[in-house]
Amino acid sequence: MTRTSLAAAAARIAIAAGLTAAGAPIASAQVVGVSAAVKNDVRIRVPGTPLPRPVQVKQRVALRDQVQTGVKSQLQVLLLDKSVFTVGANARLTIDRYVYDPSRNTRSFGATVARGAFRFASGRRTTGGTSTISTPVASIGVRGTIVEGVVGEAAALIAAEETAVGARMRGDPATASLIVLRGPGRATQGNAAPGSITVTSGGRTATADRPLLAIYVPGPGMAPIGPFPISPGGLMQLQALLHPALADRFGWRQPADNLATVPPGQGMPLYPAPRDRPRLPRPPMPGGGFDDEPPGQRGVQLPNLPNLQPPPPRPRTQAPPPRPTNQPTPTPQPRTAAPPPPPSPAAAPTPTPTPNQPPSSVAAPPPPPPPPPPSLKSAPPPPPPPQQFNSVPPTATPPPPSNPNQPPGQPGKPSQKPPPPPPPK
Amino acid sequence: MTVRDLLLPGLLACAWAAPAQAQADPVRELDALIDRSGDPASAMALARSQIGEGDLLGAAATLERVLIDFPDADDALLLHASLLCRLDDRPGARAELASLNGVAGSGAAWAEVTAACGPVPRPGRGE
Repeated sequence: MTRTSLAAAAARIAIAAGLTAAGAPIASAQVVGVSAAVKNDVRIRVPGTPLPRPVQVKQRVALRDQVQTGVKSQLQVLLLDKSVFTVGANARLTIDRYVYDPSRNTRSFGATVARGAFRFASGRRTTGGTSTISTPVASIGVRGTIVEGVVGEAAALIAAEETAVGARMRGDPATASLIVLRGPGRATQGNAAPGSITVTSGGRTATADRPLLAIYVPGPGMAPIGPFPISPGGLMQLQALLHPALADRFGWRQPADNLATVPPGQGMPLYPAPRDRPRLPRPPMPGGGFDDEPPGQRGVQLPNLPNLQPPPPRPRTQAPPPRPTNQPTPTPQPRTAAPPPPPSPAAAPTPTPTPNQPPSSVAAPPPPPPPPPPSLKSAPPPPPPPQQFNSVPPTATPPPPSNPNQPPGQPGKPSQKPPPPPPPK
Repeated sequence: MTVRDLLLPGLLACAWAAPAQAQADPVRELDALIDRSGDPASAMALARSQIGEGDLLGAAATLERVLIDFPDADDALLLHASLLCRLDDRPGARAELASLNGVAGSGAAWAEVTAACGPVPRPGRGE
């Protein structure tokens, strides 16, 4: 074995993630990339350390580092093979797996996006290996392409305005995932090759192989919906999440703005969180910051940055979705007191829906608590038949009857109210 | 002790140092890319160089990187849109172009957009 081949073999092994070479600091840190652009409040939590640290440009990113972005923040990471991972505001990203062999031109990559908007663009073309991006509810296989996506409430809000999905399909505000293939397409120029993505969830897999095809996963254990062509409005809402600075400059519409356009009676596209799921508070933080950590556990205190402005108040998002547990319900009172008469539609005035309240929470009587969303441990509901959302109008596709996300009843119907309690003896 | 006796330890020493050096090279290459895109003018030059090499994805990443720090770089916005068209994402490029309310850009940048995407209406100014 010659010296050159020996060095080349050592290089291959060193670049492979998971191997620690004593005496070589870079290899021991398992560096997988470099932060190429940092906007506002971006932090990295290194495994084994309790507090995240602010990120600087050209800072090394290692395996299992958790990237966290705050309000109106953005980060671009260049990976060793020149793949690019970009996250928008309020995102959580972890590189779980990275094996890159430049001599054999292979790359194996795995990442997890727990929430927020992301964009991944493959680097140099490889001859082997797999690239996978995981969300809380879906596994995305990426093959030489640009893929964008969003996880969380914004995904459900964007999808609800898409004809292929509709507002009746309620998404989990914590885990709903919307994925969009951006290219290259079949007529691409240069060295790029057409790419494709596969999205697997609920035991089903959907494939997108053309730019602007989208796939939506409403929640845990649910089959993917799509692929369907995403509308220009939906695409730009995703761009607004990915590029908050551009969104501010050009006034791009945000997904939260969709709540104002929900037709009366259709309800919100988000199903209430179950009682046993803690809902993370998301108060607006002046100057950025992370809203899912107690103040005592946050990272290094950042100085006040003059260019940071508190986010504008969004009364629509501050209004919580209907929570049957918190709303007064005409439940039977204790027998020691006389039960109140049930409200009747004729007697009770129907308040006019205000812009700050979703229409369903104002006009509808409190429905019974909905069943919990399907989990991985429980039997998933029968998935709807796969559909191609090309030009089928929404009325031609009836909702699956057994879908637990369907609203339990139409708002405003007196028949949905519980019967009045019997008088005490 | 002969040269042959020192050969094996020498080879091992080179192999020991080679991993750090080999891994440092891709990282330094990334550092160089970042340095070359620190301002809009440099980033545009790097992007055009990458386009000339056929690396359209790399050029798009370069432009996205500069737009994070310089969202007012109109020519970078337009060049990025033209790249989307060349990557066969014309509808996406048109949607983004239509959303660039008030963007100016040079005549050359708009000509590049037209060449890649076909005739596109200029977005409203100050709308």
